[in-house]
Amino acid sequence: MSLLTLKDATIRFGGLVAVNKVNFEIETGDLFGLIGPNGAGKTTCFNLITGVYTPTSGHILFNGRPIGGTPPNKIAKLGICRTFQNIRLFGALSCLENVMVGAYLRHRTGLWTALSDIPPAIKETRALKEEAMRLLEVVNLEDVANARSADLSYGSQRRLEIARAMATQPKLLLLDEPAAGMNPQEKAELMETVRRIRDDHQKTVLLIEHDMRFVMGLCEKIVVLDHGEEIASGPPDAIRNDPKVIAAYLGEAV
Amino acid sequence: MLLTHAPVAELTFSSLPQFFVNGVLNGAIYALIALGYTMVYGVLRLINFAHGEVYMLGAYAALLTSYALGYGPGQSGPGFPSILTLAIMLLVSMSFCALLGVLIERFAYRPMRSQPRIASLITAIGVSLLFQFGGQLVLPVSPPPSISERVNPDFLRTPVEITLKAPDRQMVATATSLKPAYEAAKQAWEEQKKHEANEFDLSPEGKTLRTSFQDAERAYQDAARKADASANKILIPKGKLVMFSTSIFLMIILWWLVTRTSAGRAMRAVSHDFNAASLMGISVDKTITFTFIIGSALAGAAAMMLATFQGTPLTTFYGVQPGVKAFVAAVLGGIGNIPGAVIGGLLMGVAEDLVIGMGYSQYKDAIALVILIGVLLLRPGGILGSSKVEKV
Amino acid sequence: MFWISRLGSILGALLFCFLLDKVTGGLSDFSSRLVVLAGLYVTLSVSLNLINGITGQFSMGHAAFYQVGAYTAGYLSVTYFSKAHLPGFLWIVLMMIVAAIGAALAGLIVGLPSLRLKGDYLAIVTLGFGEIIRIVVQNQPSIGGAYGMNVQPKFPQLFASTGTHGVWLVWLLAILCIAVCRNLLKNVHGLPFLAVREDEIASSAMGVNVTGVKVTAFLIGSAFAGAAGALLAHYEGFLSPTMFTMELSFIVLTMVVLGGTGSITGSTLAAIVLFYLPEKLRDLPPVPVSFLVGAVIGAVGIVVFLKKTIDNYHGSSSQKTVRMILGTATGIVVAAALGFVLKVIPTIGHAAPVEAAKLRMVIFAVTLIFLMLLRPQGVFAHHEFSWSWVKKLLGKKDVPTTAVST
Repeated sequence: MSLLTLKDATIRFGGLVAVNKVNFEIETGDLFGLIGPNGAGKTTCFNLITGVYTPTSGHILFNGRPIGGTPPNKIAKLGICRTFQNIRLFGALSCLENVMVGAYLRHRTGLWTALSDIPPAIKETRALKEEAMRLLEVVNLEDVANARSADLSYGSQRRLEIARAMATQPKLLLLDEPAAGMNPQEKAELMETVRRIRDDHQKTVLLIEHDMRFVMGLCEKIVVLDHGEEIASGPPDAIRNDPKVIAAYLGEAV
Repeated sequence: MLLTHAPVAELTFSSLPQFFVNGVLNGAIYALIALGYTMVYGVLRLINFAHGEVYMLGAYAALLTSYALGYGPGQSGPGFPSILTLAIMLLVSMSFCALLGVLIERFAYRPMRSQPRIASLITAIGVSLLFQFGGQLVLPVSPPPSISERVNPDFLRTPVEITLKAPDRQMVATATSLKPAYEAAKQAWEEQKKHEANEFDLSPEGKTLRTSFQDAERAYQDAARKADASANKILIPKGKLVMFSTSIFLMIILWWLVTRTSAGRAMRAVSHDFNAASLMGISVDKTITFTFIIGSALAGAAAMMLATFQGTPLTTFYGVQPGVKAFVAAVLGGIGNIPGAVIGGLLMGVAEDLVIGMGYSQYKDAIALVILIGVLLLRPGGILGSSKVEKV
Repeated sequence: MFWISRLGSILGALLFCFLLDKVTGGLSDFSSRLVVLAGLYVTLSVSLNLINGITGQFSMGHAAFYQVGAYTAGYLSVTYFSKAHLPGFLWIVLMMIVAAIGAALAGLIVGLPSLRLKGDYLAIVTLGFGEIIRIVVQNQPSIGGAYGMNVQPKFPQLFASTGTHGVWLVWLLAILCIAVCRNLLKNVHGLPFLAVREDEIASSAMGVNVTGVKVTAFLIGSAFAGAAGALLAHYEGFLSPTMFTMELSFIVLTMVVLGGTGSITGSTLAAIVLFYLPEKLRDLPPVPVSFLVGAVIGAVGIVVFLKKTIDNYHGSSSQKTVRMILGTATGIVVAAALGFVLKVIPTIGHAAPVEAAKLRMVIFAVTLIFLMLLRPQGVFAHHEFSWSWVKKLLGKKDVPTTAVST
């Protein structure tokens, strides 16, 4: 059974069909890429998967369970977590605290325990803090753990978002343009980080990206969207040479 | 005051038109104030809490102008027709409020533009409180002054009558038939009075004539009253009509300004997209100043008219209730939407008068709040507004 | 070890409250009233901060929760105290709990439907709800309507058996409120609240139940305000709707904003300062108009100068502070000088002096405006008092600055 299945997933906004009968399956352990020109509906797919939008028709299944229309916070609890195209960090909070918000959903102690500030609450906070610290090390941000997240450089902020998403211990990690705005060296490091996330931490990764070298170098399976519809899917080599894909990005040959 | 609502007891099917008309007339004034709120929100996304206080100060400007022109307590008037006075008061109020609006924008709101919107809201609250409580120290508040009745020319005090349903013909006929007898009896009694020494010590003849006069009078007046009551009339004080027409006139000017001038176009552009407008070469500062000028001037007009024709005493808290109601009107119509403010204002006025008609006048101030919460919970965009989806 | 230190803190707090009570007992009625009201304002301010500053929900109707708590407790006391045969101070604690529950219900009513609204809209709705509650209470003859309601028993009777004046309970509530908020922020449970303030969509994506967090903030915040209301009712012995107007909501809001939205320390100190100063003003003789005009001119000058310095000055941090202090001092001197000089102008010189009490709300208004112009994040911004902060002041490096990391 595949981890994530989209079956004829469709969403309309008024007269506009943003995503039209898209189908793909992601298996556990995949490094999966979702690409396409601007406005193709990639982030909309993410929003469908994570419950920000409800599909107008079609199904989205996670481990066989339909999740279409489930609210985002429940999706996170089920094991899907994401980063955002426009960075959405908790600006006034420190890097460590940002990651801890991700870890929060696995809390065991209740609110009353927290308000009373008794040992179980104190222990749990410390444990989650250590966990968050380890995640910061994965993305090489442990030095700035206590810095205000809004003060970080753009590339560091993107890495922080990944660490935060990791803190929810997701089975499936959705990365929305994680390499945007990074220089080549940062991108290479990011590719390494994502591979490590898949290999060492046993996560499945679905990412949206515009940088072709990044996607082709990292992803093992790719789906291409254009105008909300799926126009190609397969391994990087097949996609690279697919005439429909080339046409979608570059326009028809004159 | 002479120009308040015609006395109607309660809301029945036949009295509905009167309440409705009252509501529309009042609503036009709310619309004028609401336009100020809506335009500022449109360009700045700011709820101008201080707008009610600009309105209040406009009323005081009208008051002080009337004093300067000779209508103050103990003064005898300027010697020129009151129409001219009214025109001067209107101009002064509108200009003063426009200036005030510009100053508030320049010194309290402009520095806040780079801050989160909450900061602007708090600043607006501060300005509002400053005018309310600071104004108390400077303006006459105790006893609360009001604009002299003498400013209203005589011809504005008589109401216009619109007959919806003519009086019952039978009853009119009865009354008419009783009239000659009444007049005759009256004549006879008047004649007799000349021959009597005083009213208390009447001759038997006098007593009879007086009794027959009083009977005839009562009979006639009862019949006339019945006939009158059988009719369905709407009474509109002429002053209110003047207010209404002036409001409509001002709104037409506004419509022209917004749709036909480049300044108005700039305003609409800034409402849509602040940054794009400035990139297109529109001076955002000038446009915002323009918006405040228009919005505040309209409030000034509303203030002058209500203060003059309704005659409510002024305090520095005079603007709180109208401010709230006009704001609700703007939200009801769709805040940021200019026609919405007009519709919202009219609806607000009607709703309020219906509440009064139903006998709940102690809750008439609460109705605005209930409408507000209802709109915000059910359809925050208001009647003509739309909701914008945040891009994730 | 933990429990010993915890017990120590609790005993310390109790000791502080009792000492305060004893000291206050010796003061005049007027002064002891100040101590009681200050304590109530601290509770109001810190509880509002939980909703506004920490969770970012701009609630402007806090006076309504205060009112609901006060009237609930007042009505129950008047109706049932004589039948209950409980010792006074147990009764008042019971009333506080009941009032808290009542106010929390009101908080639920206000908070739940408002969840879809943000920023300005939420502010307006909460303000509207607050006014509706006030108008509804005003029209209920059974609880006194517009004329007010007398509340029995009052503090002296309630606390007679304990030998105290009840001041300790007011400040114990304040300390409890501070402790609860502090504990929340120390713990990982506080992070979702801050996260919701920062970015609701991201919070939701990380598994935070945004609605639940907002409702919880409203519940806790309103509950504390309600408990404070219960104490107010029995302290004053009289309740009327005019005690719970929009102005009160704005005053508490000013305290939160001045202290720094999100800073418990800030809210506490600001509540004490902003409450106490205007009361002290009442003692002053009426202020001559020339001084008021001078003050206005001086204030405007100071604000303009400070704003220019904050925005444009490029010296070191300490130089900047010195400049600002010198500028403010100069402004004050100029204002005073103007106060003397302006007397010469007839309209100003002959005008009647203004009672200081009338200036109270004007001072609040001006505080709000100046704060927003100069330092919108408040005096303390998001900082809290903590031992690491003290260490930082003393020069130690690499100390975390935000709440949970401490």
